[in-house]
Amino acid sequence: MKRVEEETPRIGVFICHCGINIGGIVNVPEVVEYAKTLAGVVYAEDNLYTCSSVGISKIKEGIAKHNLNRVIVASCTPRTHEPLFRGACEEAGVNKYLFEMANIRDQCSWAHMHEPEKATEKAKDLVRMAVAKSRLLKSLEEPEIDVTPSALVIGGGISGMTTALCLAGQGFKVYIVEKEPELGGMLRHLYKLYPTMQDASERLNHIVNSVKSDKGIEVLTSTVVKQVKGFIGNFEVTVQKANGGTANFGVGTIIVATGAPIFEPVGMYGYGEYDNVITQLQLEQLLKDGQLKKPKSVIMIQCVGAREKEGRTYCSRICCMTAIKNAMLIKDLYPDTDVHILFRQLQTYGEHYEEHYRTAQDKGVKFIKYLQEKPPEVISGKNGKLTVNVHHALLDEELKFGSDLVVLSTPLIQHEDAKKLSQILKVPLGSDGFFFEAHVKLRPIDFATDGIYVCGTAHSPKDTPESVSQALGVASRAAIPMALKRLRTEAITAVVNENLCSGCGTCLKLCPYGAIEKDEKGVARVTEVVCKGCGVCAATCPERAIEMRHFTSEQVMAQALAALGRAVK
Amino acid sequence: MSSEPRIVAFLCNWCSYAGADLAGTSRIRYPPNIRIIRVMCSGRVDPAFIFRAFETGADGVLVGGCHPGDCHYVSGNLKAEKRMENTKKLLKLLGLGPERLRLEWISAAEGEKFAQVVTDFTGTLRRIGPNPLKAKTNVNNPIDVEAVVSEALKKTNVQYCVECGKCSGSCPVSRVDNSFSPRRVVERFLLGFEDKVISGKDLWTCLSCYQCSERCPSDVRFPEFVRACRSIAPRDMLEETCAHRGIPMTLSRIMINPKIKQDRMGWLPERAQISKRGDLLYFVGCLPYLDILFEDFNLELIKTPQSVVKILNKVGIKPAMLPNEKCCGHDLLWTGDLENFEKLAKLNVANIKATGAKRVVTSCPECYRTIKKDYAEFVGELDFEVLHMSELLSELVDKDELKFEVYPERKVVYHDSCRLGRQMGVYEPPRKVISSLPGTQLVEMERNRENALCCGVNAWLSCNKYHKEIQMDRLKEAKATGADLLVTTCPKCRIHWKCVTSEKLPINPDEITMEMRDLSVLVAEAMNLA
Amino acid sequence: MEANKSVLVIGGGIAGMQASLDLADRGLKVFLLEKTPSIGGRMAQLDKTFPTMDCSICILAPKMIECLRHPNITLLTYCEVQDVSGSAGNFTVKVLKKPRFIDEEKCTGCGECAQYCPIEVPNEFDMGIGIRKAIYVPLPQAVPLKYTIDEENCIKCRLCQRTCKAEAVDFDQKPETINLNVGAIIVATGFDMFDARKRREYGYGRYRNVLISLEFERLVSASGPTGGHIVRLSDGRVPRRIAFIQCVGSRSLKGGVTFCSSACCVYATKEAILIREHDPECEVYIFYNELKIFGKGFQEFVTRARDEWGVKYIRALPGEVVEDPKTHDLTMWYEDTTENVTKNMKVDLVVLCPALIPTVANKELASILGLDLDEYGFFECKDPLFKPIDTNVPGIFICGYSQGPKDIPESVAQASGAAARAAEVMALAASREAQ
Repeated sequence: MKRVEEETPRIGVFICHCGINIGGIVNVPEVVEYAKTLAGVVYAEDNLYTCSSVGISKIKEGIAKHNLNRVIVASCTPRTHEPLFRGACEEAGVNKYLFEMANIRDQCSWAHMHEPEKATEKAKDLVRMAVAKSRLLKSLEEPEIDVTPSALVIGGGISGMTTALCLAGQGFKVYIVEKEPELGGMLRHLYKLYPTMQDASERLNHIVNSVKSDKGIEVLTSTVVKQVKGFIGNFEVTVQKANGGTANFGVGTIIVATGAPIFEPVGMYGYGEYDNVITQLQLEQLLKDGQLKKPKSVIMIQCVGAREKEGRTYCSRICCMTAIKNAMLIKDLYPDTDVHILFRQLQTYGEHYEEHYRTAQDKGVKFIKYLQEKPPEVISGKNGKLTVNVHHALLDEELKFGSDLVVLSTPLIQHEDAKKLSQILKVPLGSDGFFFEAHVKLRPIDFATDGIYVCGTAHSPKDTPESVSQALGVASRAAIPMALKRLRTEAITAVVNENLCSGCGTCLKLCPYGAIEKDEKGVARVTEVVCKGCGVCAATCPERAIEMRHFTSEQVMAQALAALGRAVK
Repeated sequence: MSSEPRIVAFLCNWCSYAGADLAGTSRIRYPPNIRIIRVMCSGRVDPAFIFRAFETGADGVLVGGCHPGDCHYVSGNLKAEKRMENTKKLLKLLGLGPERLRLEWISAAEGEKFAQVVTDFTGTLRRIGPNPLKAKTNVNNPIDVEAVVSEALKKTNVQYCVECGKCSGSCPVSRVDNSFSPRRVVERFLLGFEDKVISGKDLWTCLSCYQCSERCPSDVRFPEFVRACRSIAPRDMLEETCAHRGIPMTLSRIMINPKIKQDRMGWLPERAQISKRGDLLYFVGCLPYLDILFEDFNLELIKTPQSVVKILNKVGIKPAMLPNEKCCGHDLLWTGDLENFEKLAKLNVANIKATGAKRVVTSCPECYRTIKKDYAEFVGELDFEVLHMSELLSELVDKDELKFEVYPERKVVYHDSCRLGRQMGVYEPPRKVISSLPGTQLVEMERNRENALCCGVNAWLSCNKYHKEIQMDRLKEAKATGADLLVTTCPKCRIHWKCVTSEKLPINPDEITMEMRDLSVLVAEAMNLA
Repeated sequence: MEANKSVLVIGGGIAGMQASLDLADRGLKVFLLEKTPSIGGRMAQLDKTFPTMDCSICILAPKMIECLRHPNITLLTYCEVQDVSGSAGNFTVKVLKKPRFIDEEKCTGCGECAQYCPIEVPNEFDMGIGIRKAIYVPLPQAVPLKYTIDEENCIKCRLCQRTCKAEAVDFDQKPETINLNVGAIIVATGFDMFDARKRREYGYGRYRNVLISLEFERLVSASGPTGGHIVRLSDGRVPRRIAFIQCVGSRSLKGGVTFCSSACCVYATKEAILIREHDPECEVYIFYNELKIFGKGFQEFVTRARDEWGVKYIRALPGEVVEDPKTHDLTMWYEDTTENVTKNMKVDLVVLCPALIPTVANKELASILGLDLDEYGFFECKDPLFKPIDTNVPGIFICGYSQGPKDIPESVAQASGAAARAAEVMALAASREAQ
């Protein structure tokens, strides 16, 4: 790797058309010509798709041919492609931290599609800003850290147990922390599972026994996670047990498998007021215990508290199938009982669920579509009998049903204490309340924070096989760092210039990770592997003695001035 | 520059930058006036970036962070919030307006919100108009720095140095930092190694406290020699050694622009009597800005000008004041920015003239020296007399016009700040004033008057561990007198001392913590005006 | 190479690539096998992906390149599995490497050859709308970027050979057999489209302006045959009204498949938004039966399409589509539930969403691997509830659409799952061997 600090910057700028995503709005050739006029730029070219193997080769060729020691790619957001381009630079002998991107797509061409001239001017500004920072970039080395080959699984439901078994099977030690007194999660409360209609408890017990007898898995029930410090490969976990005692242990990765409770629709459709308005979960319990007395007419209402205009706007995926399953069970028990399912959009997706829909139809379950704007009404009458009014969407008629059991299908929601957990782990929750993954399409079970993963209904509502697939997926994702045993960590960390440090201690107080201490000389010192690179210290140090690598004050300032058209130096 | 507002945005990588990306992938349109800079955390955003952005012509600055509680780095966004509050107050003072700075919490899922914020902000900026700093200031007769410097070097008598070493023996910095020697610096220069001197760090270590030249037998004005060299030295050394990331200097430079209409009179006490014209003008200095910048220190810096106005009013003086008073330029001058210093000087002098004032009084020693001495040098003979508040108070004591009502029994030790004392020779008037307060006993430190030890920092430079030692030394000395109060007239001295006493230093805080008071405030309290 | 340290992944789509990368990143060796000349799969054919509207190739290309560059991954493109024997921990696989008639070591992907090739054939990657030459790469971002000669259509004029400066054309190339020894096998063969011609009432195959969704996807793609301009294939006109018809051949008890493809409602919504983006004046209707919006973010996506983009949803599957032979405009008949009347609507373009069926070649592969297939061609999993990724053969795992209908995020997660199972099985085999 070249040591480039002593050399004059030789910057190469590669501007992407991204098909027509950029090129159709921004005048890319004009930006290329502009880039050539910037001080320090010795080479500029455009590419159709810089991320393609052709584009990558052109970067490497450009580096070699023009002896580049800084590379800029003006294309999409760095949040997806930075690692790819950095890799290309490294392969061509340029340290990856000498690479910078200008976001001229997501933050330019795509947002200003109807103002192409302004988008072009903006793209030029963004390139100029990237060049200003690029001149000041330094090559950086990434420190390596050890990875503890053990995982913490938060949640002992089907997802947590599945991932634990698979990780243990790969040879890693696993801790399961479960807040309830027993393992099993939601499955403990379920009766039969679609699509096979197997008994939930039977299968569950089998898995729970496997977990308990696995020597690689330590189960801590009635326990919650209290604090997590550290970073991937080196998390320090503090848990609190029911008796108040705490325990500490170290893990390399953390998996969130905390599941999801159901929404209690208090005040909706008479729930909480009338005894015979219950939720699907309560129905399952009745069926499981054999406590369901023969009803004459069962009305199931779908989308209760879900797919709303605001708040819980999402579809909870499993309620339609749950209703169909329970409807079929009722019909099997009491073939004479009328069962109506009032739905808005029937979610019988996937390979087998359409068949169940038909089987339910075969058994005589009736399906009535209602519109969101005209929801059903549940009115109480004599002797606890209920009347359900529903506007039939297709027939455009008001229908009236007498019913002695109304079952409300409510969505899965996020746990109340999830906010606390999300803050302990510093992982985000989405606008629907569920945990928010790193990338919706391509990193669905990773968090943006390295070393922490999510699976099961903690991620979003889903059924058992879907949870199992995600849980196994997480077992692969978490295994990667643990199998490698060592990891390269970020080089974007704080560094202290001892000559300027006056030992005032301001940075120590501010660091949220406790990454800074004072050494024997009374001067601040940064523990690089703990430093997360936030930069709060650098922004407060009165002497500018502590700087953030790759985001130094000089570099950021240069970008800001370049944004305003002023070149620095 | 075009008439469209230009927004510079600092967005945090984890939330707001991702939110901006989402706006793009969702094809939500927003005005193209924004230029985004990615930082890892909103807590990384240094107010220095923001002031420099405005200085360079940004119409608006947007800082984007995660929602409270969701910060990827735990609490970086909360720190950003505090900083931005403080910065907005300063922007209000400057007259740029706090609306030009926006802090928004935007999550990675809020593409809509991002676009809305940008659209909204752009609309606001169009409405309130462009940044007044965008218009280039007239560069009439730019200063010939080289000529000024060679003149200055001649005047400083460096060529008369005999290498006696008195300077190095007197220099407080030399004592704690062995690598700094005024004698060697002069010698290098005289031997022709100007480059080493001008590009070196030593140039920026000098406190310009004048202890050396006060004693030099050849009357070498070492601080002025250093000052001249600084104006031709490369700026990166300044960047490196300047504390508080150069924010005070940025503020001073911003004030130069004639389009800036500051909002800096908000501190005036109720029923204060001031005027646009008058015989006596009170020059406040940067106290309103310093009060906000260092609000965490609880020094009540703003009480100083409040006390001055109250005292003046009480004795029947209705001082003229400048609603658009500019920084005197002291820090710019001493860090070698002669060009901008001259601009400030000219502006202030013109504004003072317009009030018709015959006398200008200031409570700040730095403003005092700068206006009285340095303005005359750079701008020409002044039409008005310049005096320090302690001199005016001393006059009033002589005339028996100060009526004291509160008589606490206490010992007060007085510190001669370098600018007022050694450099301008004003030693006795503050002492006379203190002694006149009933119940108050004035005690002296070992090193006083022309031997007073500098507070340890000058023009925010080189605030390193050596200079901290100097500060602690002085405070220990003050404490050793057994005084209840440490009184001085310089707000910078108080800031620097407060800074060192609030830090984690290898010393027992009891040894150095002293209650401090500004002289004018002390008098106002005794007059029951506070 | 130790068998228990390498895995064979069959299928180079997003699921196959994800599984390969997970295994390679943790130090295991992977053979990624793909029957077409380039990896990328269906995702490479898409313009944007729901619900984020990410540019598909933009998020896919880095993964493709990663597979190419990764020291632990060996790409076996234009290859097919011929025979498998052995058991978990120790499979012997015979792979047929089909001849490209190009020396991969020499080919630089420059494309000069294709400029001179005189033969034009419909481009499969563009669903037959665009053309390619007999010497071709399936897509500009192909990985590996090596040309292939389509033996069936090549006339052996040898113009390409004369043009190629790298002397990479080799008409004497023969099929090659490669023997592999692997510890586990992952199947990720993806999907094909139901043949919409079987639903004759919609006129696909007869009417020029009735397209299937993947064809439409190529039309709207920036890198597609029209450069992203939506035009009618009959006359090149810009359509003013476009209709989507859902569930063509799916959820059907006759003349189709019974299952729900689980992605069409949302991808139609996506395509509808793209149309409205490209051309706000164009009306878009989606004719559906049940809107499948069960996934994370789907409901909100559809709400936005309806409320912000003005996409109109009509709950009725049209009875038929009729073409005006002169104008090639189309008329559809459907029942409007809001007015309770059966009416017709004239549209310029009809896009059918056919069922996504498991890849037809699964049948042959299943018999080679000894795997059970269900009636539709999905590989059967060991236990639909708790073992969705395992199969009846220990050591062979399934993921992605070959396991069951699903979208991209589910395929990615399940692919990681298959990687985990493969690693687990191999860890077990290794420890047995050690004992």
